[in-house]
Amino acid sequence: MDQAKQNSLEETPWLLHFIPSNDVEGFNNQSQQSEDKTLNSSAMVAGTAEVQSQNRESHQRKDSAFISMPSSPFRSDEVKTPKRVAFNLKEKEFGTMISDSTVKGIPVYAKSHSEPVPKGFVEGTVENINFTQHQSLDSSYRDRSFDSFKTWSGKLERQLTNLRGGRPPETGPEEKTKKSEKETSLPVDRYFDALEGPELDTLRASEQIVLPEDKTWPFLLRFPVSSFGMCLGVSSQAILWKTLATSESTKFLHITPLINLVLWFIAVALVIVIFSIYLMKVLFYFEAVRREYYHPVRVNFFFAPWIALLFLALGVPSSITNNLPVVLWYVLMTPIFCFELKIYGQWMSGGQRRLSKVANPSNHLSIVGNFVGALLGASVGLKEGPLFFFAVGLAHYIVLFVTLYQRLPTNETLPKELHPVFFLFVAAPSVASMAWARLQGSFDYGARIPYFICLFLYFSLAVRINFFRGFKFSLAWWAYTFPMTGAAIATIRYSNEVTNVVSQTLAVTLASISSLVVSALLVTTMVHAFVLRDLFLNDIAIAISDKRPKQHHHTHTRWLHNLRQGISDHKDIEIFLKFSPEAKEAEASADPPSNENKV
Amino acid sequence: MALEIVSDSSITSITTRQGSSAQSLDISSSKPSNSSILTRIHAGYFSIALSLAAQALLWKILSEPKIANNASKHERDVLSLLPHIIFLLLWWFALLAQVSLSLLYVLRCFFHFHLVKAEFLNHVAVNYLYTPWISLLLLLQAAPESVHHAFGIISFTVLYWVFAVPVLILDVKIYGQWFTTQKRFLSIFANPSSQISVIGNFVVTRAAAHMGWKEGAIGMFSLGMVHYMVLFITLYQHLSSSSRFPTILRPSLFLFFAAPSMGSLAWNSITGAFDVTCKMLFFLALFLFISLACRPVLFKKAMRKFNVAWWAYSFTTTFLALAALRYAQEVKAEVAVVLQLALTSLSLLVSLVLMVLTAAKVNRLLHEDDPLMNFINNSKSKTSALPKVEETVNGQK
Repeated sequence: MDQAKQNSLEETPWLLHFIPSNDVEGFNNQSQQSEDKTLNSSAMVAGTAEVQSQNRESHQRKDSAFISMPSSPFRSDEVKTPKRVAFNLKEKEFGTMISDSTVKGIPVYAKSHSEPVPKGFVEGTVENINFTQHQSLDSSYRDRSFDSFKTWSGKLERQLTNLRGGRPPETGPEEKTKKSEKETSLPVDRYFDALEGPELDTLRASEQIVLPEDKTWPFLLRFPVSSFGMCLGVSSQAILWKTLATSESTKFLHITPLINLVLWFIAVALVIVIFSIYLMKVLFYFEAVRREYYHPVRVNFFFAPWIALLFLALGVPSSITNNLPVVLWYVLMTPIFCFELKIYGQWMSGGQRRLSKVANPSNHLSIVGNFVGALLGASVGLKEGPLFFFAVGLAHYIVLFVTLYQRLPTNETLPKELHPVFFLFVAAPSVASMAWARLQGSFDYGARIPYFICLFLYFSLAVRINFFRGFKFSLAWWAYTFPMTGAAIATIRYSNEVTNVVSQTLAVTLASISSLVVSALLVTTMVHAFVLRDLFLNDIAIAISDKRPKQHHHTHTRWLHNLRQGISDHKDIEIFLKFSPEAKEAEASADPPSNENKV
Repeated sequence: MALEIVSDSSITSITTRQGSSAQSLDISSSKPSNSSILTRIHAGYFSIALSLAAQALLWKILSEPKIANNASKHERDVLSLLPHIIFLLLWWFALLAQVSLSLLYVLRCFFHFHLVKAEFLNHVAVNYLYTPWISLLLLLQAAPESVHHAFGIISFTVLYWVFAVPVLILDVKIYGQWFTTQKRFLSIFANPSSQISVIGNFVVTRAAAHMGWKEGAIGMFSLGMVHYMVLFITLYQHLSSSSRFPTILRPSLFLFFAAPSMGSLAWNSITGAFDVTCKMLFFLALFLFISLACRPVLFKKAMRKFNVAWWAYSFTTTFLALAALRYAQEVKAEVAVVLQLALTSLSLLVSLVLMVLTAAKVNRLLHEDDPLMNFINNSKSKTSALPKVEETVNGQK
């Protein structure tokens, strides 16, 4: 325990001001001995650390930040991840210090050490101290606040710095700091407790995150997996323009195959770029990727890269190739198969990630992969493999569809208001109808039924266009455009079979709507990226702490928490329905009757 | 009266929701030395007979001479001789098991009707009441030629009817409860064993198709299919999590893929060819099987002690192997043949292991209380909200 604390202190870089606990009155001395030891070892910190001796009056102002020791240094189990500091009552003592900080861009985290911090409250450890490259000092000292998220605790970076001929980094103690950070997976309840919103990316007011909030995080940490939605949107457009150019019923439009060619190359480039960025994120910030994987909404976006590759294969211009190799299909379907074994198995085996708890419209992304794979497989000439994926996708789609329609009270992630994510409802039936048509050879009844379902869902969402206002733009919106494109492509295929004015008009209309939406989205993305510069905001969703901060009015949330965890009896459902979700906002101090789930 | 501590996961509190086995005290009531084989044999024991019958059916199909074969007639006869012998042995053994279990159960109805009633009222055990009829139907289907000749077609048809009618009656009772009764919400009482009712419907479908009654076959199939869909969705949603399903019965999770494989066989018997619907059902069964096979942790708790629920492994894998056989016959690809061989050998292996284990531990099976009975008693006492445990069975060692 001491060792961990010792290590965390040692990796405190320069400009440290140590106040021993026994010198400060009111400080909660818990163990003198280890404190001394830590102080001694921190004296070993290299170089320019200004270790003041233990006198209080050395609260002098330097041209550096003053950081005092955290008050309760012996909670070594909390040392694991850098946590945000909370300002306590005595801060005005240090207020002058803080405001005096002249160092640009260095947020100072000071902590009063007058009272011990209650457990569960985020405490500041020394890892909180972060520094940007201060001009007047060596630039070789890295920002360490994100180390907990880095793969191999930043060792890779140090080696890269070494390779680049930079200053040799500090060796030794700091390497051991983060080994205790390999935390176990976050339970899904933490995500539901800490986050809210249709994409579960907004932090609740009572929660805190483990990474510094007011600092811009490294780009890789801000790059969410939902960026793969962009690949989906663009590559589906490529398929759309290919279908428009080659279909019988739209020949009258005289679309040139050139558009498909251009779009396809753009899509390929985009896929390569996003793949490589995310690959770097996997290499450098594996912890962040893990947290995204455990996020109940984001996990579905892990299917998106492979679906995008399938789209690319489907939309390949005929000038490049007409026949795809069959082995390509097997290669592309393998990751999808593995992922869906994991996800569907989680649904089936119950536990904390069972469907009644985590169902949300983004789950459609995990289903659509099956149908797209079936479509591609049928296009390259296979029969059994595509049928396999079609059957699996169909069975699980029915389950998901019913679950989402039911809007179970045990389900938290369904947004109460409409959000573009609802367009994902349209995705599965449209692709399923196309896949079935390709498998059977013609657009027969088995294809028409899902197609009409898709049309109905599309229209019932389109007439509610008023309710889609007022949402914060996010990159995931790109993923919601491909259902519109899919519906358009399905309509074109349908009009091939049933060629009349109505179907052709519908095809053209839907195609133009989807292209317009994609262009509008492109413009919005450009605006956000270059003008507003808030395209990649700090990705709060992955930085939630693994323990809930102590709350005063937590009785009702705990009741809700327990209730969510185990509706194990129909009585619980009745009780839940009685105490509607508004109760949890009410911050009622009165405890609900405690008969809730004590069986 | 002896105090018996029974490992039973049915009594859970909110904290042990995830199916961890909780210790429960099983205080025996005033039923002294009445525990015997009769009090312990519950309907779940028929899964032994069911598994044997399914294995017999498998061997019958395996021993059928292949049609398009280049080998000479003599070689074909020799090759099919060994499976034929095994098939005959299995069939007679299955018949024996079925008859003896039926006798015991009839006696149990006479002498301990309250126990049978308790089984009937319990939401998990009632599904096992289908198993005797399913195994009887399978036995009929798997009957060797000699038996066919001895009995004649008329009596076979009569027997089919006799065995199908109880399934229908049970259907009416159980499915009717799902959507009519207030007290037995499907969302709460659905559990993996409910899929046995669906399997029962599909087996009756096959029987009807074999008898030649197409309409009845389609009727039973649609009945089974509709309820299967409802059940599948409900089970996947896991509304009631696993708090009402004992961990000891985890092997019945294998029913997840037994139902669609039997469904594909049923549709196959209706249409005569293994068409797209059959294939899709078979693929679904295959996927669920792979998914369960990748999760051995689920079954760890149930595998600690041998009990009759383990026999669920046998007949479920046999059903899957049967479907794979039909699939391989239809699609003559190497992959399909390999798949069929793998699944068939798996089911054979599992059945063999179970037979050996049962033979070795027959004492345990016959002289100790099966966890299912304890679960029935415990959940009965729980739902009746009485502080005392009602009549329980105490195994005296």
